[in-house]
Amino acid sequence: MGTCIITGAGSGIGRAAAVEIGKAGLFSHLVLIGRSAEKLAETRAQMETSSEVELCTYDLSDLSGIPELVKGIRERTGEIACLLNIAGYTDPQPLFTTSVENMEQTYRVNVFAPFLLIRECAKYMRTNADGAKILNVASTAGITPRPGWLSYASSKAAVISMSQTLTEELAEYGIRVYCISPGRCATALRRKLAPNEDQTKIMQPEEVGHIICELVSDSEKCLDGQNIIIRKKNL
Amino acid sequence: MFSAVILAGGIGARMRQDLPKQFLTVGGKPMILHTLERLEKLDEVSEVVVVCHPQYKALLWEHIAAYMLKKPYTVIDGGETRQESAHLGVQAAKCPNILLHEAARPFVTTEEFRALLAFDAENVTYGLDIPFTVLTRDGDTVDGILERSRLVNIQLPQKFSREKLLSAYARADEEGRRFTEDASLLFYYTKEPVKILEGRPTNIKITNAMDLKTGEAIYKEYIVGRV
Repeated sequence: MGTCIITGAGSGIGRAAAVEIGKAGLFSHLVLIGRSAEKLAETRAQMETSSEVELCTYDLSDLSGIPELVKGIRERTGEIACLLNIAGYTDPQPLFTTSVENMEQTYRVNVFAPFLLIRECAKYMRTNADGAKILNVASTAGITPRPGWLSYASSKAAVISMSQTLTEELAEYGIRVYCISPGRCATALRRKLAPNEDQTKIMQPEEVGHIICELVSDSEKCLDGQNIIIRKKNL
Repeated sequence: MFSAVILAGGIGARMRQDLPKQFLTVGGKPMILHTLERLEKLDEVSEVVVVCHPQYKALLWEHIAAYMLKKPYTVIDGGETRQESAHLGVQAAKCPNILLHEAARPFVTTEEFRALLAFDAENVTYGLDIPFTVLTRDGDTVDGILERSRLVNIQLPQKFSREKLLSAYARADEEGRRFTEDASLLFYYTKEPVKILEGRPTNIKITNAMDLKTGEAIYKEYIVGRV
């Protein structure tokens, strides 16, 4: 069954995915990564699971520690069967107020950290007897123009492209790469992008978490390599 | 146990690229790595000897480290000819049996390696039927017909007795005779039986730029199965 690593597990879609995957009992170990120990503990409290759950407080904008982070998880929990890159960052700004720092921080969390996690996990995954799965959370912002969200939207476009490239590059090792692009979803990150939105009327994280759980289950073998758009009609 | 000897000494003059062809990418991965990664899965292979142009040895070691290959590796300089390079590789090998392959054939599968190693004979090569007619010529005039059913298109990988192969190289050196591959050389000097395993048309040797494009299609369709 192996280990599933879930980033951004302290809230939103990451938390919902952890709860759903835990309930389904797909993996022997779940490693939940987030910046806040308190929020990770809240996620753990919501989980009903027979899997071993490890809470791992880590800020993914610290790229230098990621190889050791993955190595440690591998040593502690055994075979890495699944990686879910869900953590996201945004500080939406129009072009003329978008700083290099804004771009860098957004890409650090949304692109560079997933890239490094994938690279380090794939080093171990490629020798798994039953292959592995990687799922990256992009956004519909990565496929359509989003004035005022330059850094976020372009970083999500990078995630889509990275996922498609790695689907081909890792296929020989039996590693399937999935990419989902949720539309409007009631998360704290979405609140930054659309502060005045009524979040009770849009897609909920649990609905996306459910789809993620379906995608990473053993029975799903056809949807990798695509940008899977997840949208819900407003209530 | 086997020593794998991988021929990667070419400089790729026909490809007209900055790098020798064995370091160009196929399916997003340096060509030679396709072979080296598959060798990692073979318990029967206890060491890998790569014959490489001195200019590219450092690059090869970088790849070995980046892809975390775990077999014991020896990287040696190639010779002036393919035969000399193979000879040097076999000399550097330590096991009594040699698995010989060339880096420019990246589409050999792990199963083909396994079938070769398990085949109950000492000297074995892969080979394909010839699907076309071959005539002999004298200048611009046909002077003979080869019987197609008796011809075989030799493919690598191959396996040989190290001792017998070394003795054949020594005799070829004495006589100054050159062969284009090693089953011919072994057979010519030792008359030892060389068995033929049926090869696959997809196990092509990448020689020119068109082969590289064909190779991408083979990789997608037959190695990865994603089209």
